[in-house]
Amino acid sequence: MFSLRFLKIWVGGAILSLLVVCGVAAPLLAPRDPQAQTLEDRLRPPRWLENGSPAYSLGTDNLGRDMLSRIIYGSRISLMVGVATVLFAGLVGCTLGAVAGYFGSTADEIVSKISEIFLAFPFLLIAIAIMAFLGQGVGNLIMALMLSRWVQYCRVVRGEVLSLKERDFVSAAKALGGRDFYVLYRHVVPNTFASVTVIATFGMAIVIITEASLSFLGLGVPAHIPTWGSMLSEGRSYINRAPWLTIFPGLAIFITVFGINLLGDGLRDIFDPKLRRQR
Amino acid sequence: MANHKVGISRRDFLYKSSAFAVAAAAWPGLLRNAHGASRERVTIFHSSVADSVHPYNHSSSPIYGQWQHVIEPLIEYDFKRKDYVGVLAESWQFQGNKWVFKLRKGIKFHDGTPFTSRDVPFSVERMRDEKGGSLQAPNFKDVVEIQTPDDQTVIFVTKQPNAVFLDRLDNRLIVSKAAGDKYGDKIYENLVGTGPYKFVSYQRGGHLVFTRNDDYWGAKAAIKEVVYKKVTEDAARLAALESGQADFINNVPDHEVPRLRKHPRIRIDQLEGTRMFFLAINFAFKPWDNRLVRQAANYSVDAPAIVRNIFDGIGYPCNGPVGANVLGADPKLKRYPYDPQKAKQLLAQAGYPNGCDIQLYYSAGRYPKDREVCQVVAAQMVKGGFRVELISQEWALFWDKQGVNGGKLPFYYIGRGGLTDADTLYDQYFRTGTTKRTNYSNPELDKLVEEQQKTPDSKKRIAILQQAGKYIMDEALFIPLYNLADIYGAAKNLEWKTRPDERVMARDMSIK
Repeated sequence: MFSLRFLKIWVGGAILSLLVVCGVAAPLLAPRDPQAQTLEDRLRPPRWLENGSPAYSLGTDNLGRDMLSRIIYGSRISLMVGVATVLFAGLVGCTLGAVAGYFGSTADEIVSKISEIFLAFPFLLIAIAIMAFLGQGVGNLIMALMLSRWVQYCRVVRGEVLSLKERDFVSAAKALGGRDFYVLYRHVVPNTFASVTVIATFGMAIVIITEASLSFLGLGVPAHIPTWGSMLSEGRSYINRAPWLTIFPGLAIFITVFGINLLGDGLRDIFDPKLRRQR
Repeated sequence: MANHKVGISRRDFLYKSSAFAVAAAAWPGLLRNAHGASRERVTIFHSSVADSVHPYNHSSSPIYGQWQHVIEPLIEYDFKRKDYVGVLAESWQFQGNKWVFKLRKGIKFHDGTPFTSRDVPFSVERMRDEKGGSLQAPNFKDVVEIQTPDDQTVIFVTKQPNAVFLDRLDNRLIVSKAAGDKYGDKIYENLVGTGPYKFVSYQRGGHLVFTRNDDYWGAKAAIKEVVYKKVTEDAARLAALESGQADFINNVPDHEVPRLRKHPRIRIDQLEGTRMFFLAINFAFKPWDNRLVRQAANYSVDAPAIVRNIFDGIGYPCNGPVGANVLGADPKLKRYPYDPQKAKQLLAQAGYPNGCDIQLYYSAGRYPKDREVCQVVAAQMVKGGFRVELISQEWALFWDKQGVNGGKLPFYYIGRGGLTDADTLYDQYFRTGTTKRTNYSNPELDKLVEEQQKTPDSKKRIAILQQAGKYIMDEALFIPLYNLADIYGAAKNLEWKTRPDERVMARDMSIK
């Protein structure tokens, strides 16, 4: 099981687990209150640089808040937004996609037209528009991201279901007297899980980046909640004077997205029938 | 290969050393030419340049300064004398419902026609023409009639005596009626004025060129040609100044100032700006109708600490309801000292022993470092016993009928630009019915504001304004914060008489 074949999954999984631990145990791990301002200690460099203080391992930001604690707490938002969005968007997208693909005709027409409307706009633009309309907040952010992400699941599942429903085992299930929803639920939908898992992991990485982008644009969560994107945004104007304000949150985003992508890549290797045959 | 020469040949040595000698000899000259401003032309990179050729299609301080190169006002405010001085007008009198202006004699427009009183009502009609694109009409809302009994006299008749009319008349620039008759709708494309510079060209996107008027009625300008270019990115303006592409820029970022002060070819001019920042309170919302809560809020916000830490000390905390340079400021007034313990006590007295929930609104990105400022304010107020929710809104939403101007926001961070007379602030924010921004209404304060507007004697007027200021502080009607610095960068040999109203005019410049 621990062969090189699964290396991507192991590394990606380890990074993701670390993120989960950080997020869940943030109050235990963070050395300080991420919102406590010490204006006198503002813009302190990380401890290993000149002028650094052992009290602030990764330095302080423009309001004298501890960078390490903020990064640890920032993982909560990334994680919460990432998981919640993927779950909700997956649920909505898969359901609509399965219904549209399986029943076809009017249901398919309606769902396809709606998803085409959503696809016509760039994904970030929809998220920005919805956030501007709803206002700041974690719930609103998840809502906005979900509304702009469900289409991906819908399209993929619909396509899969379209081909699956013509297969013999589906005809057999029907011939045995299975009702539509039963066949869909027991025989068709489970067969789409492989592709959904893969797009869900990649989707989570995209969602985390989008959350950071929206926070960077000031449309994410309220200012006092630390997120990596808003930390980047606030640190940007100090990039000459205090580069650690942008380097550390940037690194955090990079490592997280890298880990999730590795995991997704590994999962695809396992699930993809073409790649599987080659092995 | 064994015989390969090491070192430099004689010919090479001669070439290189002579090239070096020429370069060394020319270097100071090159430096001077590349990085100094010249009398022939000054290039100004500004974040705010006229958006059209229509000189009344805005109400923005920097843009008034740009058009004032060509067309001039009757009067303007002199920040050194702290009083109004005549430009096209020689003298004026406040007579009850009338303001009588005597115009300067012998002034000619750029096309050679004489400036007379008839040009004034013609220009005012243009400013009142909102359909034609003017944004300056409200300044004349109480003017009933403009009379021109002779070529040198203009009389403004107002509905009721108006002592602050000079403030409304400041920045109202006069165009030529003769040119208007000649060019009709094309008057602004062929702008004719009396100013120290003539209009040369305007390009969409903010590229404005003026050339010196050698027949100017006043002191002739030192610089021949002025080029304004709109550059909104701070870093781009700064790079242009450092490379010598621009001779003058505005809004130098404060954290770049220490470095630029050591720069051999750049001078930094830093002065107190006339934009005042404060936290406004809306009396239609609880708990803000309670005086003790408002005082507690005042005690819990430490504006000097914000200036010191967020703006690197480059700013001016207000001691009282307006900054020290504003007409009507009272040197005897003090701001509420920072005292979170006292704030907690007051909150407990007001019936909030366990603290009190408030929301602080702002529009991120509108003002310098507003997001940081509001986060610090929130943290300070938490220490004073408040629980603060920070809400940032997009500017249009924040400012319009759903926000500040509809009286819908309970507590917000805002800046009032061009504040030179306390009347402007008191009238706009605290007088019954002028705006809905605070929903404050008190007959006592209304009376003071009205009375000073009717008082022609400046000393008496200031005394009443100070009385109103004391009342505002005692009642803690808002939380005054600070004025920030206007920071300009210029080529070192460019002399500039600084002014705090965001106007940059070449007539104030000379070359050393």
